[in-house]
Amino acid sequence: MNDHPQQPENLPIEVEETDEQALITRRELITLLVGAGATMVMAATLSDPIANLANDILGNRPKPEESDYHWVMVIDLSKCIGCDYCVYACQATNDTTPDMRWNIRIEDETPQGDIFHVTRPCLHCKHAPCVSVCPVGATYTRPDGLVMMDYDKCIGCRYCQTACPYGARSFNWYARNDENPLVPEWGRPEVPRRPRGVVEKCTLCVQRIDYGLANNLTPGVDPEATPACVNICPVTARYFGNLKDPNSTVAKIINSKPTLRLREDLGTEPSVYYIPPEGLL
Amino acid sequence: MTTHAEPLQHISVVTPSKKGRYSPLFLLWMVGLISALGIGLVCGLHVLINGLGVTNLNNALPWGLWITLDLSSIALGAGAFTLSAAVYIFGMKQYEAIARAAVLVGLLGYSSAMLALFIDIGRPDRFYHPVIYWNVHSVLWEITMCVVLYSTVLVMELVPIVIESTFLRKYKLAMSISHRLHSLMPLVAVFGMGLSLLHQSSLGATYGILTARPFWYSPSAPVLFILSAVAGGVALTLLVTLLTGKLLNKQMVPDNIITGVARLVGFACLAYLYLKLWSWAATNYYSHVPDKELGAEILAQNTPYNFTFWFGEVLFGALVPAIIMLWGRMRRNRNLLMLGAFMIIVGLVINRWNMTLSGFVIPMDWSPGVREVFPINTYSPALVEWGIAIGIVAYSWTAFTLGVRFLNLYPEARTIRKRRAVVVTDTTVTTMTEAPIIATMVGDDNPEEPIMSVETSREEKIVSLIEEDETPPDEGGEEQGI
Repeated sequence: MNDHPQQPENLPIEVEETDEQALITRRELITLLVGAGATMVMAATLSDPIANLANDILGNRPKPEESDYHWVMVIDLSKCIGCDYCVYACQATNDTTPDMRWNIRIEDETPQGDIFHVTRPCLHCKHAPCVSVCPVGATYTRPDGLVMMDYDKCIGCRYCQTACPYGARSFNWYARNDENPLVPEWGRPEVPRRPRGVVEKCTLCVQRIDYGLANNLTPGVDPEATPACVNICPVTARYFGNLKDPNSTVAKIINSKPTLRLREDLGTEPSVYYIPPEGLL
Repeated sequence: MTTHAEPLQHISVVTPSKKGRYSPLFLLWMVGLISALGIGLVCGLHVLINGLGVTNLNNALPWGLWITLDLSSIALGAGAFTLSAAVYIFGMKQYEAIARAAVLVGLLGYSSAMLALFIDIGRPDRFYHPVIYWNVHSVLWEITMCVVLYSTVLVMELVPIVIESTFLRKYKLAMSISHRLHSLMPLVAVFGMGLSLLHQSSLGATYGILTARPFWYSPSAPVLFILSAVAGGVALTLLVTLLTGKLLNKQMVPDNIITGVARLVGFACLAYLYLKLWSWAATNYYSHVPDKELGAEILAQNTPYNFTFWFGEVLFGALVPAIIMLWGRMRRNRNLLMLGAFMIIVGLVINRWNMTLSGFVIPMDWSPGVREVFPINTYSPALVEWGIAIGIVAYSWTAFTLGVRFLNLYPEARTIRKRRAVVVTDTTVTTMTEAPIIATMVGDDNPEEPIMSVETSREEKIVSLIEEDETPPDEGGEEQGI
């Protein structure tokens, strides 16, 4: 076909084609076809994540994998004497430095002016902000409620540190070559040191929980299957166990006593419950 | 059948710059930039070898200068998608005169941001992980994917310019690639605009979605980010265009294009201001949410936040420049126009810094008691952080300088030969004593170039006040890609 009858066909100048002259030019057709093809390839590649996202937005979230366990910790603030034993036991067992402690203690006071101590491990939130912001899915929630870190995926962007409302995450600013002064007095490292450049946090001693379940032990009852901080507490201010087992100590406390969770207004639904001190709540 | 195989005629031929014609000023500029690049390289190696512990960042304040740098440079790269959309989607073909420069500025902004992020992440060796391991819930994942894809778009937009402007145009294959890419442009521009709209606003969402930090948690953050990016990105393109013209004593793009672009920037500033003030009023003035109020108090007492917010971001970062951009009389003064664009850029950088730091300086209080347990965080960048920031900025300035020199960035550039004011009133050309000169991107003083009459813009009220001074152009610093 000749779109430009007014011009000789062998004119060496490229002719601009306009809408009036043709419904669609060959070039436009090719462009369209290539575009459609690319879109289809993209759609095929992306269909799975997009379907997940759509389901999420519409509220048809796939049911999370069911587990018989939901690991929770109860910390009795009315009992805590602020001895820091749990802090040191954690630091030895998980081999951290003082400025990247997984479990910390702070001093606070009630409206009446009575001092009390708050210790804070990672709270293992049900709706953990760190999990949803991580660009590579290096931090994820296990079916039993534990929020875990995959040190091999983490790129060290520190967005999770920015998003965590509890400051529970530490970054490996340096390569570690220090000696841990709390070993062996307070415990022995049970996990390897993390490499420089990744974020880490409390795991509720997942290595003990998994070991216990594999060996018919009850985490929270048998010390080999219970977090180090719970075992060492001299005043039994910390309890650990399975909230889905109504006979566990933690389930009994949570079902019978008033407890609080930190920053409940944020809707993160932590797995760590606190028994408030006298005068608070 | 029309064939498309003929050599392209519509591509303007560029005479390569004459060898040995580098002014001392240019050489000095390049020496300065290369030293800055050296500083950046040394600091970069220091961080890569010794880890992020050498910075002043810590667990309570894990993001700092580099995040400000990459938020700013991505925002300042937004001129590319805005002007490409104008040319290829909205059919305003005349803006191609400036769109090419915008594409280069955009690519430099995005590559600067990626450089900064590469240094900033703890494991640069895993920089590709977001492409492999997807977390579709993460705005940061979405941003990373969009930035990667959009940088590809920008490269596709830049490749034809590079091929047309360099020795590559001698090769048929290269020219055919260039031509194919050029014909894909409308599609690429749509794709690019979608990506840009997504991630420019998601950068605001990075902060806006975090319930943990009440000073950030805000539904307006994404929209504010994209509005300021449109204003700042186009302003940077405008500034470098005017500055280049001043330094080369050329008119890089026709005056009506400058007018149109300046007005776009002005309106973007107004839209930004409108939302910004309402956002402030709703969260800080008409309401008394305790967390937010406490945060504002902490910032007011410990940082220059209030001053920088009202003067840096609002007054001199948006309001005054908007007046300059929209008031014809001021806009016609090219020096004032450059100042206005510069103010918008500075205001945007201040905004990104304030945004990043404000959320971190205010401590998060998670303890159930009444005592104020958590210390206020402070931060000032370490020398090595400054060094890397300087190096990255120098990279983009160097690349832009070379781009102006060796690429046909401004297809409609004209040399200003005579000092004269051309006055064009309303729709008709009334006076034109002697036609100004058109020369394609040739040497500055090429008297044998053909003299042609100027193609004046039709609807312009008053077109050009060609700069009267021929004093050596001021070295105000080529603000670019901060």
